[in-house]
Amino acid sequence: MSEADAIRLAQAGDAAAFEFLYRLHGRRVYALCLRMVGNPSDAEDLMQEAFLQLFRKIGTFRGESAFSTWLHRMTVNVVLMRLRKKTLPVASLEETTEPDEETGGPRKDIGAPDLKLTGAVDRVNLERSIEKLPPGYRTVFVLHDVQGYEHNEIADIMGCSVGNSKSQLHKARTRLRDLLQEEVREQARNERQIAKTQTGQAR
Amino acid sequence: MQCRELEVFFEEEGLAPLSAAARQHLSECHACKHFFEDVTGIVALAHQLPAELDPPEHIWISIRNELVRDGTIRGLSGDRVPWWQSFAELFRNRSLATAAVAMVIIVVAFLLGSKPREQVLQVQEDPYASTVMALSQQEHDLANMQLASTGENSAVDASLRQNLEQVNEFIADCERRVREEPSDELAREYLTNAYQQKAQLLSAMMDREGSLN
Repeated sequence: MSEADAIRLAQAGDAAAFEFLYRLHGRRVYALCLRMVGNPSDAEDLMQEAFLQLFRKIGTFRGESAFSTWLHRMTVNVVLMRLRKKTLPVASLEETTEPDEETGGPRKDIGAPDLKLTGAVDRVNLERSIEKLPPGYRTVFVLHDVQGYEHNEIADIMGCSVGNSKSQLHKARTRLRDLLQEEVREQARNERQIAKTQTGQAR
Repeated sequence: MQCRELEVFFEEEGLAPLSAAARQHLSECHACKHFFEDVTGIVALAHQLPAELDPPEHIWISIRNELVRDGTIRGLSGDRVPWWQSFAELFRNRSLATAAVAMVIIVVAFLLGSKPREQVLQVQEDPYASTVMALSQQEHDLANMQLASTGENSAVDASLRQNLEQVNEFIADCERRVREEPSDELAREYLTNAYQQKAQLLSAMMDREGSLN
């Protein structure tokens, strides 16, 4: 069965077609939900909600955009709605597209030595820092750099311009670098503290 | 090219391919060079994160039950999906089945290895005893949580309860089959998968109860 056949059959209420579509896209949608909310229980709820919305509205799908884009748009909306309802500080789309600083040039830590990250971060650090990104940045970063979507697809999913998607991605990467640098510094501070305590105990 | 222009370049064109002017600037400006190397490293690391992950199987069962209930899925008789269909789907997920079987093999191997020789025969007779006991305890805890709950039940809760009933029915069938035919490997595999599924369901239900209370 092709995706187009499955969509047509699902529009007629065929159970096997719904399952085919779920199996085709479910793993990608689950990964997106999990990276956006960072906890499996919420991710499961959101995935279920997104698929239920999608399948209930499948009769209105006319194929103007790719089915996966439609599904991802719905998923991103469901996730962002949930994040807005929670007490987490959520920056608006406008807020997240504002320039970070007026200094021009890539963000640098003024007064601190420029910290090179190469070799100092791993996937765990990265996952943790992705969770700290504002939702707008997080969505674009996950869609582009983790899931491999192109800017035109992201623009479709997020309902923004290609330029906006590119700009948000750049800002997300820059913010991520700051967060990771912070984490590496924190790690180094802890290690120094432990070493100091051990030295003190040895005397 | 100045630092500011490089920033605009990265924003509009991304990290690759770099223009000759951008390359030239990076060779002269240490701060921008470090920024570029850091961000390139971050992107490379992000590409290593899995873009797809296996969702727990009970999600599809819940979605389908909802769709049958609200009439989006048509042509199935009655509101309730036959339990054997749900299980055919459960075990279609090879990675889940493999993980579950691997887990049980490890547990049984551990039990056999760690028990004194005189207990080995007893373990071989009932390798599932500890699993059954742990699941019963979990089910008992869940029942207590439900008694203490506010009594508000969503469609998802109803669907999870229905799935648990189905799993219990299936476990009873598999246990009977394993008792009658201890050498039936397929029945053992199904039973293992059913225990795994029950553990997942109970954990999901307890999570929900915990968040509602």
